[in-house]
Amino acid sequence: MELFLMSLITGILVGGIYALVALGWVLIYKCSGVLNLAMGELTLIGAYVTLTFYQAGIPFILAVIGTLLVGIVLGFLTERVFLDKLIGEPILAVIMVTVGLSFFFKGMVEFIWGTDTRVFEPPIFGIKPIDIGFLKVSPVYLWSFILAIVLLVIFVCFFKYTRWGLSMQATADDETAALSLGVSARFVYAAAWAIAFMSAGVGGALLGNINGINISIGYLGLLVLPAVVLGGLNSVPGAIVGGIIIGILQNLSGTYLDQYFPGGVKEIVPFAFMAVFLLFKPYGLWGWERIERV
Amino acid sequence: MSNVWLPCGDYHQYYEEDQGWWQSRFIKFKMILLLLIVFVGIPQLLPGYFVSVATMVGYTAMGALGVQLLIGYTGLVTLGHAAFIAVGAYTSTLLVLQFPWPPFFTDLGLAYPISILVAGIVAGIWSVLFGLPSAKVKGFYLILTTMAAQFITVDFILTQYISQIGGRGQAFSLPPGTIKIGPWVIEGDVKIYYLMAVITTLMVIAMANLLRSKPGRAWVAIRDNDIAAEALGINIVRYKLLAFFVAGFFAGIAGAFWVSNTAALSPEHFPWFWSLWLVGVILIGGVGSIHGAIFGSIFMVLVMEGLQWAVIPLSAYYPKLLIDFAYIKDAAFGLAICAFLIYEPNGLSYRWWQIKNYFNLWPFSY
Repeated sequence: MELFLMSLITGILVGGIYALVALGWVLIYKCSGVLNLAMGELTLIGAYVTLTFYQAGIPFILAVIGTLLVGIVLGFLTERVFLDKLIGEPILAVIMVTVGLSFFFKGMVEFIWGTDTRVFEPPIFGIKPIDIGFLKVSPVYLWSFILAIVLLVIFVCFFKYTRWGLSMQATADDETAALSLGVSARFVYAAAWAIAFMSAGVGGALLGNINGINISIGYLGLLVLPAVVLGGLNSVPGAIVGGIIIGILQNLSGTYLDQYFPGGVKEIVPFAFMAVFLLFKPYGLWGWERIERV
Repeated sequence: MSNVWLPCGDYHQYYEEDQGWWQSRFIKFKMILLLLIVFVGIPQLLPGYFVSVATMVGYTAMGALGVQLLIGYTGLVTLGHAAFIAVGAYTSTLLVLQFPWPPFFTDLGLAYPISILVAGIVAGIWSVLFGLPSAKVKGFYLILTTMAAQFITVDFILTQYISQIGGRGQAFSLPPGTIKIGPWVIEGDVKIYYLMAVITTLMVIAMANLLRSKPGRAWVAIRDNDIAAEALGINIVRYKLLAFFVAGFFAGIAGAFWVSNTAALSPEHFPWFWSLWLVGVILIGGVGSIHGAIFGSIFMVLVMEGLQWAVIPLSAYYPKLLIDFAYIKDAAFGLAICAFLIYEPNGLSYRWWQIKNYFNLWPFSY
């Protein structure tokens, strides 16, 4: 029972990070309809940028804020250089451009930072487990979760209450109507990419604290895809719930299934579960069901 | 065949002529020239390096044809095609290595050809299994289920379980002489090239004919509007699964061919990268045309080789460049895809069509 609770809690805590990255993904999709397959590489970039700041002697929190700033710049740049020109192109081409971007980013990351596993030195969070009432949790997970939740709340508030956030919501809801009300769609797309870069970057930095930073962070970033599909592609709460579900699933399967199917079942289960889940709920939990007519 | 251009005053008297592939004397001449180049020119006249590059083009084209069928003709976006190629490759290898062939078969060199066919069928069935969600799921959600196929098949089942069969460790290797078709042992650039050329030609013929028969028309109808297709009485689930089967079959054969090319096999040959690469191939070549798959393969493989050539002279001055080449290659490839999609969104086959039209209508191209 304790083992079960333990993996459950760890799952929820890691799921918080996935939820953060998934939120960035859903924002892009909602605002501009782009299915972004480069999300894994965005987390990778974030992780390495934070590491670089941190190793330059900047405190971790400031390093994270620095990563956010770099994320804004990179997000705007990416949108302006690559995706801006693709508005109105067939959706498959746009998806493939994000794939091209993912190769580009990955290649650049490997070129700049190499492929060795790096860790945050000195460690940011203590090693001594924290007692939360009935269980002991590693502080890395707990603090990452708290930071992820804080950022999630900030992003959601931004989305709900600020002028820019509202214009993003309007564009996501009905682009033509938003344009007629004077919302700049180009700005909204750029802002969506900036937010995606920021959330993925911080997610990458947090994931990097758990297992060290190498290329496999990119794979963890890819795990947001089952998360967003589980929640429904165009639902922000769905992304958050989906992220947490994926985190839980991953840890529970790591605990219980690994003895029956040794070797990497943890990485596969989210995808397998999602494939089966879609058979029963083809639009995820809260995705918009599109009623089609000829 | 309405898209065949005939010279003014040329007309057909029989339906058979109208349905024929090679309708005018010019087309016949052109195709025979092409076949001569493919079967004689490249393998006999070019040095070995270029032959092996051409083999790579053919292997890419085999995979890309299946992807083209799914994405370009049926509208089912797949990002896990490498999984089915891998299934084919492993089926073929295991059959050749583990199956207790009676001496009759091995003497006649039938083991490998049979394994190619079986590989195609197994990969097809495996592909149908992952195509099942397509009955309900559409668009982006389907992309994710095909991605699941990639990770479940290659990263889990093949790496963890299938690779253990026979206790050879991670990588399988085929001893020389096991890959044998009839009296010919498939080894060396030229023989592998010929095998590739024959398989690719057969595949192109099979696919072109499928596409102009009932299933092909049904696939195109599903791609253009699946609800309308259903209203026309097309069983869309059946035809979608058939598309998955045929694409998987092609992929399986491509995988079985790959075994003869490398004589070794490991799950690393079929990464997710390769699935994405194949989609990139058809997007660059042009979606919805067989030409597209082939032009795309030629272009992508040549770009990669070209990058290699560009780096080798530079490496004398910057030794680090050679070490980091793999990374730069990835980055450059990504940029190339982006640039191509931004500046030539219709793909190479559209350009080809324009050039052809220009000459067909020459000198009055208006």
